[in-house]
Parts: sequence; structure tokens; C-alpha cells
Amino acid sequence: MKDSMRKAYLASVTDRFVKGQMDRRSFLRAAGKLGLGAGALGMGLGARPFWTMSQAQAQDQELKPNADVMKWLADVGKPFAGTTLKLATESTPPSNAIATQLKQYFEEASGIKIEIEVLPLEQVLQKLTLDVASSLGTYDLYYIDQSWAANFSQDVFDPREQLKNADLAMPNYNIDDFLKPLVDGIAMYKDTMVGVPYDIPIFIMQYRKDIWDELKLPTPTTMEDLLNASKAITDAKGPNVYGTSGQMKSGHYSLECDWTAWLWGHGGSIFDKDGKFCGNDERGLEAMAYWDKLKATMPPGVNGWTWDGEGQSVAQGVAASMLSWGEFFPFFDDPKASKVSGLMEAIVPPKPTTTLRTVQETAFGEIPGVGHQGGSSLAVSKYSKAPDAAWIFMQWATSADTQALITVLGGGTGPTRTSVYDDPRVKANARVGAGTTRHLPVVRETIANYMGSEPDLPAWAEISSDTIPVALGKYFAGQSGSAKDTMDALKSQVDEIVAKG
Amino acid sequence: MNASVASRTLRTLAAWVVVGLFFFPIYYWTSVAFKYGNDIFSRPPNLFHFTPTFDNFQKVFGISLGRGGVTVTPGGGNFFMAPRLWDSIVVATLSTLVAIVIATLAAYALSRMNFRGRHQFVNWVLSTRMMPPVAVAVPMFFIYKGFGLLDTFTGMVLIHALMNLPLAVLLMKSFFDDIPAEIDESAIVDGASRFTIFRRIVLPMAKGGIAATAVLCFIFSWTEFLFALTLTTTGLKTVPVVSSTFVTSIGTAWGNMAALGAASIIPAFIFILLVQKHLVRGLTMGSLKQ
Amino acid sequence: MTVAQVRRMSVSDSPIPWLLPLVALLLVFTVYPLFYNIWLSFHEYVPRRRALEYVGLSNWQQLWEDARFWQSLTITFVYFAVALVIELVLGMAIALLLDSDGFGFGFLRGLLTMTLVIPPAIAGMMYLLMEDPQFGVISYFLQWTGLLDPAHPILATASTALAGVLLPEIWQWTPFMVLIFLAGLRALPREPYEAAMIDGASQWQVFRRITLPMMSKVIAIAVLIRGIDLFRVFDYVFVMTSGGPGTSTYTLSLYAWQQTFSFVKWGYGATLSLVTLAIILAVASLFIKVAKVRW
Repeated sequence: MKDSMRKAYLASVTDRFVKGQMDRRSFLRAAGKLGLGAGALGMGLGARPFWTMSQAQAQDQELKPNADVMKWLADVGKPFAGTTLKLATESTPPSNAIATQLKQYFEEASGIKIEIEVLPLEQVLQKLTLDVASSLGTYDLYYIDQSWAANFSQDVFDPREQLKNADLAMPNYNIDDFLKPLVDGIAMYKDTMVGVPYDIPIFIMQYRKDIWDELKLPTPTTMEDLLNASKAITDAKGPNVYGTSGQMKSGHYSLECDWTAWLWGHGGSIFDKDGKFCGNDERGLEAMAYWDKLKATMPPGVNGWTWDGEGQSVAQGVAASMLSWGEFFPFFDDPKASKVSGLMEAIVPPKPTTTLRTVQETAFGEIPGVGHQGGSSLAVSKYSKAPDAAWIFMQWATSADTQALITVLGGGTGPTRTSVYDDPRVKANARVGAGTTRHLPVVRETIANYMGSEPDLPAWAEISSDTIPVALGKYFAGQSGSAKDTMDALKSQVDEIVAKG
Repeated sequence: MNASVASRTLRTLAAWVVVGLFFFPIYYWTSVAFKYGNDIFSRPPNLFHFTPTFDNFQKVFGISLGRGGVTVTPGGGNFFMAPRLWDSIVVATLSTLVAIVIATLAAYALSRMNFRGRHQFVNWVLSTRMMPPVAVAVPMFFIYKGFGLLDTFTGMVLIHALMNLPLAVLLMKSFFDDIPAEIDESAIVDGASRFTIFRRIVLPMAKGGIAATAVLCFIFSWTEFLFALTLTTTGLKTVPVVSSTFVTSIGTAWGNMAALGAASIIPAFIFILLVQKHLVRGLTMGSLKQ
Repeated sequence: MTVAQVRRMSVSDSPIPWLLPLVALLLVFTVYPLFYNIWLSFHEYVPRRRALEYVGLSNWQQLWEDARFWQSLTITFVYFAVALVIELVLGMAIALLLDSDGFGFGFLRGLLTMTLVIPPAIAGMMYLLMEDPQFGVISYFLQWTGLLDPAHPILATASTALAGVLLPEIWQWTPFMVLIFLAGLRALPREPYEAAMIDGASQWQVFRRITLPMMSKVIAIAVLIRGIDLFRVFDYVFVMTSGGPGTSTYTLSLYAWQQTFSFVKWGYGATLSLVTLAIILAVASLFIKVAKVRW
């Protein structure tokens, strides 16, 4: 069979299996016929003696965790059997995958129960704040958004320290497997590692290849390309279809995320090296001017949308592109939920108009880059009454095997480990359809080369979810004068908050 | 005769239109529960012509059709929500019971016994409802944690009963006020004790009032959000809190949320229907005193 | 003394055993939070040191100078006033409409109360969907009739955002008023109405001079209960606008919640809550005095 045909066939077989149209045995039989033995089905990732399995075993293996991992859990979990752990998390694909599909395996093997509370992001913060301020240890593990890392760095264990305990360490956990930019951008705060990177929503450029081809537009690789293309599309097809979309809900964190993409994309930054707000400098104002022009090509609803509405606008064919979270991409490919299945392409974010500022030219660890990342880490609470059991769970939840399963089961979300991007199970899903992983190479490249990370300081939660989006919201609602006036006013507000400390 | 027939028909028509307008959002929401994502977001909005599906209900209530599929979609997935409905039912029913018992006893005394400071006392009871919820939730969290009430049914029943007490007392007092005190007096003359009068004479007459109060207490408990959020973690969860699970990082799973919402209207509505009979009968008794 | 008085005295009439459970519960569960918040208002949480530090009156001072606070106060007042008036008037009108034993009216009354059964947070989400500028039913309808400009989404335009948030509020709580008013109407005596019919009074006169005065106590209770809750409104704004656009739907409760949880300013959050409490207390007391409500 020709290699390309084989790949296509494997893709369709995997697709049917994932959709529940084929049972596991048939899937494995078909996969086996395609020459994919245990090695390809994820059990043997190159030279990893711990995890290789024989062909016979693979045939009977269901799409569930590696048996050796399960054995380790059984061994190490014995003294802790009967403990119950609690975690509060946002409803992200990894948490959902674990909560609904995978935790049963963990619980069976280790005897440790894990209860996961799934909440919207603001409520997770509420629970975390309450827990930490009272040191009551209601939760054993924390889901920490990267913008909160500064606030909670003292309340969790550093995983590098935890790994030193040989009795509990997972074989081949390989903490270096986590993509370094993610560790720096999500989990590091002043030389402390605040847990390990757990999920990585990151801005990538997602656009309707069919519309671009139809209007013979160049691929949007630069800011100017994007603006011109968007304008052309809106002129030609508006008001049914607009060129691009936005997540510009006033007073919401999403507006701040959009702002940073354009700000950094024009060589600007939030803070200068003295820790003072500089979104009102020349480059910042250039960014605002660009944004104003771009906004004119967006659907009018953007003023009220978070990434939720933005995603829907693209999925329903109202907007032809968006620079936003890569996690949306599999959603776009799902024919039941979107009208644009198979029509979207993903590429890295548009090139900035000038050189980016480096982390030395900004403050508080801000790393300019158009690919704004909003990842979170998973960490063990210092106030937990069962820190060892929690550490066991954390290792399992962030191990390569589990992550590969999450990516396959969880609708193609971005892994935080290098090895998972190369995992054959994950690669097999790179086809059109729900749960696709065909955008992952783009995600990986964006993480490696184009990622932008917000600054880390205790006041950042307030600045990013209130001060900045409220000010920007007022500007776009026409309530606060020119962009310069707005930015200048914002500067004094932000500087004041930072100064208060 | 014609004029009054005309006005009666007009009135009936108006009543149907008005109630229809109020009911429309509920119809819309229920229809969302049966739609695929594409139909939920269509322009122009799709009210009647859509492909119905049980998908959302399957995902939310785990009524799987033996597909053996392992797909997890954002916000949905095989969330087993049926126990959450049960949690809500238990908390609402028990807290209503507790609130009614305590409030009825107190309201009777407030209605019949004219003691000094009665007016101020009722004002005080009313004022306990005036604290913004967040101001009560935080200290309650600490108390509950200290007494081991966090994440327990007892804890939730208590806080909801407490929340409803001012309303229940006020309403029950007004219903008792409607029952003439002379009835009590004549029973006293016959030598009955206060409590016997209360139990055997006044209480049965106030059945309608109790039904109305119970309905409102149930509704307030059923729909309460902030306390249920703060004072529970994973042990039990009520429907309003768990509905927000569908607000995910990739967007809101509207279909699933609507499925849960539509299903949760049913128990509450059943409760209302059950007490409806007593509601009407009881409320037409007596006359409104000044 | 009359015979009746003597007999009345012989029945021990202490209200204490009747009121004891109520008072006990209320004391424990409301007095503690009150004192806790008062104490908290003189402190502030310092995240770096993980501790509450005494700050004297600085929270109160900050409140006084906080433009955002005064704005929230205004917004809350507007919300309160508009919602209350509409719910009262509409509620009374619909109660009168539905107060009939005609065919199907019982069913209609039941159907109307369904709006109460939906958690306000969910009702907020419902209306969020319906007011979506691109896909929402309400937006579509308003745009179609020319009342709404597609470039100005309801919830994203400062001038209409509050109206957008008031929609679920009025939709949900007018039936609440209807319920209470219906109960009151059904308990009204017949005689005054018969007398008025003989005198040949008009519908409106009957309503104004007979129904309304006799319903005054019920109306007072409805106003108090709903009014207090309106001042503390949280769910709709939280879910639909997060206080935006800008700060045009920032209610007091939302502000207090945000300070407490999002920014971990426990002291300031407590201060805001206390001020809200004080205002509600003042307004309610004023109403009770002016309306001559006598328990």
C-alpha cells in the first residue's frame, strides 16, 4: 500500500474509532494490518525500555493507560490507598478528559480517589484564594493560571524538589520533557517552579483557506497581510462574512489578551525595564491605530464577545479568521458544531512589524511575542493533608502517556511535552474531523519561536482582568477620547497599582 | 351581553398572549437543549426548523446508547449530572421544611401576641436578609470549615433554611393575620392551650399560606448560587453551580447547559403543581385585615 | 376586669418559646458575619505576607474617595428603581388580568410561575444567548424592527447594557409579584365590590379606591422583599456583562465580590458590603415609616 494511502486509511480508521463507530478490537486489528504494531500504538516510544510492549499485548490493549504505568501506580500508591484528593480546575480539555475518562484508571490502580471540581475560571480563583488565605487545605492540588503564578508561588511545592524523593518518583517522568518556553512562561516565578505546565492555550492564526483562495489573497503571514486581507473580505462579502474576529468584551480578560497580541506584534510591550507601563509609547499607539483599522473589518458583535463568541463567529462562518486560542481548532473541524469543518487552516501568528522587545527590555518577566499564551500549571498545595498522594496523582496526570491519551481523547488540545507531539497516537489524529490534531505542529512551532508571555507580579490579576480591559472597553465604546488619552490615563492607573505593590 | 362576551374573550386573549410572551424564553431554552451547535448559532435564529437531537441529554445525563465511544468534547462529555439534580431536590426540600417549621412557630407568636418591641423585632428579622451574599459567604465558609459542615447536606440545608427564614416569617405572619384572632379567643375560653389552638385550629386554616410560603422557599433554595458555590466542593453540588461547569476554556457548551436547565425545571415544577391545590383553596379564605 | 380579660390572663402567653429557634439561628448565622465584616473592614489582606494587617480607617476613607464606588451606587439605585417600578406595575396588571376562574386561567397562572424556577445565573446565560448581537433571537427581532442598530450590540453599548441586564430580571421576577398579588386579590372581601357596582363606579375607580388600599399590606411586603433583593443583585450582572461595558453595569454586590475574590482585598470588600447593608437598611426603614407599615 502506498505510504500516503496508508496514512489516509489509518486516519479514517482512527476517525471512526474515535467517533465510536468502531470498537476497540477492530481498530487495533485494522491498525495492526497497516503495519502499526505496539511501537506505533504508543507503547514503545523509541528507546524506552520501561514502556516497550510486545505485539501480542498491543493487540489486546485498549486505548487506555500503559500497563507499566498502572503497575507503578499500584506499587507506589499502596500506602496511600483510601486517601481522597481534591482538585478545583477550569473546564479545560485535559481536566475534562481526566475527570470523565481517565481518572477511573488512576483510582483503580492506585487505590487513591481523586475528586475534581470543574468550574469557570473566576470561580477557580475564588476557591483558590479562599483556600490559600485560610491555609485550610480544602484542596490538595491547585490549577494555577499563568497570571496567578506570582500570587501562589509560595503555596505550592516546587516539583524539582518533590522529584528528589526517590520513593515516590515516577520512572521516566522526565521533567525536562516539558517544553522549555512553557516552563519559563507558565511555571517559573523568580526561580521557583510553580508546578508543571498542564495546558497551553496559545494564540495561533486560524483562517478560512477556502475564502483566502477564492479571493486570491496572500497567506496572512504579516500584520499588514492580515489587515489587507480582512479588509478585502469584509468589503467583498460583508455583512454576511467579515474578514476577522475579536474577543473584545469590555472589562473581560479576553480583551487584554487581544490587546497584547497587537501590542507585542508592533514591537511594543506592557512594561518597560523600569517596571513602568509603556503601552502608551510610540509603538503602543501604532498598535492601537492598527487595531482600530482591523476592528472596522470585524463583526459588530466583537464588543460583547469573549473568546467564546469569537470562536462561534468563526465556527458559524460569520468571520473568516481569528488570531486566538489554538484549542478552538478541533472545534472548528467538528461538523456537528461548526459550519466550517475542513475549511480552516492553522499557521503561526503574523510576523511582528518590527523587532520584538526582549525580556531584558521589559519588566516582571514579560516576554513579548504575538502568540499570546494562557497556559496553566498543576501543583501540589503546601496545605494539603496528603501531599505525597497528591504528588503521585500529579505525576500521573502530567506524564507523557496520560498526556498523549488526553490529546487523543480531548479533542486535539496542545500538549505541554515534546514527546507527546511526536506520539504516533497523536499524529494519527491529524485529519479533518472532530478531535483533530492537524494544527499541533503549528502550536508547537508557535510555542518554540513566537510565544508571548504576560508579566508575573501579584497585582497582575487585577491589572489584566480589570484595569486594562475596563479602560480599553471604554475606549472602544467611545467613552474615553483618543487612543493616546486612554493609554495615558491607563498608564497612571497601572503605575499606581504596581507602586502600591 | 355582547359587550361582556367581547370583553371576556379579549381578556382571555390578552392573558394567553402575555403568558405566551413570558413562556417564550423557556421554549427557546428547551429547544436549544435539543439542537446541535450549528442550529443554536444560526442567523436568522432558528426557532422551529432544526434537526432535533438527544445528544446533549446523553452527554449531560450519561444516558449512553451503548456506543462505546471515547470522545470527550469541550464542556460536555459524559458528565453524570443526575446525582446533582438529586442533591438540589434534597437540599431544597429539607431546607424548606426546616424554614417552614421554625417560621410558622415564630410567625404565630408575632401575629397573636402583642408584646413590646414586636414591630422592631419584625424589622430586625427583615434586616437579616439585607447583607450582600458575598459578605455572608466568606465568614460562613470559615464557620462551616471549623464545624465540619463544609460540603455536607446538613450545612447546605441549614444555610438555605436560614436564608429563607425572614421571607417565611413575614409571609406566614401576614397569612396568620388574615385569620381572625376571635377564633383563637373562643378556643381559649374553652380552656385550650396556645399550642393546641395553634396546632388544631389555626394551622389547618393556614394551609394555603403554608403552601405559598413553601413554594417560594423551595424556589429560592433551588436557584440559589453563591452559598452553594462557596460552601461545597465535591461532596454535593446543586444545579445552578454545576451548570457553570459548561462554561469552558473553549467556550460555553450551550446545548449541554440547556439540557441540564430544561431537565431541572421539571422537579421544581412538580413541586409547584403538588402544592398548587392547597395554594388556591387556602388563599381564598378570610379577608384582608387592615 | 372583664371575664374575657381574666381568662386571657390565665393562658401563659409568652412568645419566647415560639421565637427561640428563630432567634437562635438568626443570631448565630447573621450576627457573626456582621461583626466579622466590621472587624475586617479595619484590616486589609497583604498577599505577600499572607496576613491581615490593621489599617485603621483607610478602607473607609478609600471608599469615600472611590469614584467607582459612587458610580456603582448610582447604577444599583437605577437598577433598583426601574426594576421595582416595572415589576410592581406590570405585576399588578397581570395579576388583575389573571385573577379569573375562567377556563385555562389556572393553567396560565401555573405556566407563568415557571420563570421563577430557573436559577438567575442560568436565566442570565439564556438572555446572554438571546441578546447575542449575531445569533440572538432578541437582537435579531429588534434589528428587524429597526429599533436596534446592528453596530451597537445591546450588552456592549453603555447606554443599553443596563436595559439588557434588566430584561431577565423583569422577566423572572414579575411573575413573583404576580404570585403575591394574586394571593392578596383572592383574599379580598366581596362586599365593597358589590357596593361599588351598585353605585356605578368605573373599573379604574374601583381599582384605585377599593383594591389598591386593601392590598396595601401585600404590596408593602412585595416591595420590601423584592426591593432588598434588587439592591443586592449579583447573578445577572456577573454572568452577562461582568460589570461592563466600561463600568456601566457595575452593581455594588458585584464590586464587593470582585474586590474580595478577584483581587483578594478582603478588607475593602467587607467595607463595601457593610455600606451596602447600611444603605439597604436606611432605605427600607424609610419606606416602612413613610408607608406606615405596622407589623
